[in-house]
Amino acid sequence: MRGDRLFITVMLGPALIILALFYLWPMVENLRVSFTDLTLLRLRVGGQWIGLANYEEFITSPETGRLMMNTFIWLTAISVAVRLLLGLAIALIVNTPLVRHLRLATLARIAILVPWATPPVVAIIIWRWLLEAPNGALNSVLLALGLIDTPIAFLADLRTVWPSVIAIVVWNTVPLIALSLLASLQAVPADLYEAAELDGATRSAKFWHITLPFLKPTIVVLGLTSVFWTFNNFVYVWLATGAGPGTFTNVLATEIYIRSFVDFRLGYGAAIGIVMALIMAVFGYFYFRMIGRRQIEEVL
Amino acid sequence: MTLTSAPLNRDPDVTSHWHRRMFGRPGRLFEPLLILAGLLAILFALVYPMVFILLGSFKTQGGLLASATAFTWANYITLFTGGFGRFLVNSLVICVAATALSTLVSVNAAYVFSRFRFRGKGLIFGSVLFGQMFPWIVLVNPLFILLTQAGFTNSYTGMIFCYTAISIPFSVYMLTGYLATVPRELDEAALIDGASRYQVVWRIVFPVLMPGIVSTATYAFMLCWTEYLFALAFLTKPAVQTLPIGLYQLFGDDRADWGAVMAASVVTTIPTLLLFLPLQARLSSGLTAGAVK
Repeated sequence: MRGDRLFITVMLGPALIILALFYLWPMVENLRVSFTDLTLLRLRVGGQWIGLANYEEFITSPETGRLMMNTFIWLTAISVAVRLLLGLAIALIVNTPLVRHLRLATLARIAILVPWATPPVVAIIIWRWLLEAPNGALNSVLLALGLIDTPIAFLADLRTVWPSVIAIVVWNTVPLIALSLLASLQAVPADLYEAAELDGATRSAKFWHITLPFLKPTIVVLGLTSVFWTFNNFVYVWLATGAGPGTFTNVLATEIYIRSFVDFRLGYGAAIGIVMALIMAVFGYFYFRMIGRRQIEEVL
Repeated sequence: MTLTSAPLNRDPDVTSHWHRRMFGRPGRLFEPLLILAGLLAILFALVYPMVFILLGSFKTQGGLLASATAFTWANYITLFTGGFGRFLVNSLVICVAATALSTLVSVNAAYVFSRFRFRGKGLIFGSVLFGQMFPWIVLVNPLFILLTQAGFTNSYTGMIFCYTAISIPFSVYMLTGYLATVPRELDEAALIDGASRYQVVWRIVFPVLMPGIVSTATYAFMLCWTEYLFALAFLTKPAVQTLPIGLYQLFGDDRADWGAVMAASVVTTIPTLLLFLPLQARLSSGLTAGAVK
């Protein structure tokens, strides 16, 4: 119907226009800039076309290997794995009959909310205080307990910097995982456990054969969502370490920022941006194949 | 949702069964103690950092190391007489405007996605959702160029545009999900009664959808309130900068007054915490919609 078509256009138009202006147009512009040597200082003049030189420089750069290792393994894989395991542990503990029996579950849920409601900037500031050397709270405790002899500069020491950054990310983001898994745990039908008990199943058997399979879909969604969210994230590494010491914790997101706004090389930054966007597109394709399609069908 | 929010432990049989199991047998006290110790450790790790800041913000200067116990508002007074209120106002204006705008256009879009069939619908919907997965850092570079050329850096308008755009993808998804639970018969009955499509959306669907709209808007507000990257790149003048930027500048200053930084952290966190408490159950289920079932 003609009336419907007009209605659809009027209702859908504004959202699509805003999204196109924000995502599509800049990406086209980004692609163009990535083939030039545009710098921040010559923004009004424009850059010279240099073909694939920026991409070539990025691929052959000796830094790129570590950049990828940092982004994929440290920032993303390890932090997501820790988050899922810890989130599961929290959910299992809060869901134990004992905790529910003592009416502590509500208290726990509110406590879990606190880090979630804390803005990342605040979380980073607090943790930089706690991890500070020589007088931060963590150093004080470790010294008092005699676990260390000299204070550790957690965010400057090469051995501790990644675990420290991951601790900050996990603290800030584990609540969503814990609360979602808690909700799923409470939805496991009780008769499944009862039937298993009648059959004499041990507790670990119940966990591996009932609880975990039941949680699996939630874990997959949370895991994949966390992967792209963390992979894309800029703020934790940038504010916790400034990609340092040196460039030790540099990741793709901070590299783009440094090249574009510290070195002023917008063209080179744009090229790395295209590489990052391509990686996300590949990931997005698999996400869609695995669960995205079902998520879409469910609401449409 | 009814399942998860229902207090499962109220069932007397279940409770007494577990009660026997946990406390009834001698020699099995070890396990409950272990569970409680674990719970305490977790709660402490989750809450302590914020408590540390909250308490610190009400202590006198000397901040971190001093164990002064006197309660004082001095840090907050220093903070706001130092001009920090400006950042609060900027954040409020930008985030409220962006939340309102994104929710409005998202309700409209979600209604169309939920109620109409048209060519390319799945593809358009999928593309909208892909926005959620897109790395913002990649957009900063070209947006900076475009906003500079258009004269929209250091302006409310530029930031409201950005924050509206980052909120739309998940807002559309969440609202479409909520709309799927609103019966179509409601729309159809109103249409038969002679209401126009627009009237149906605003008079019928909007009120029914209100709880979903509130959750969605809350989440959008949180996203904007805590956003750092775009604000860092596009706002360089204190007159327009937002809270996260103002806070971090305060922290990064070599002559930083720790008491004021703590007070500023509290001011930045309070709104999200207050908004979050009543909505957390719905949010955690909304964000992973489609996972359970």
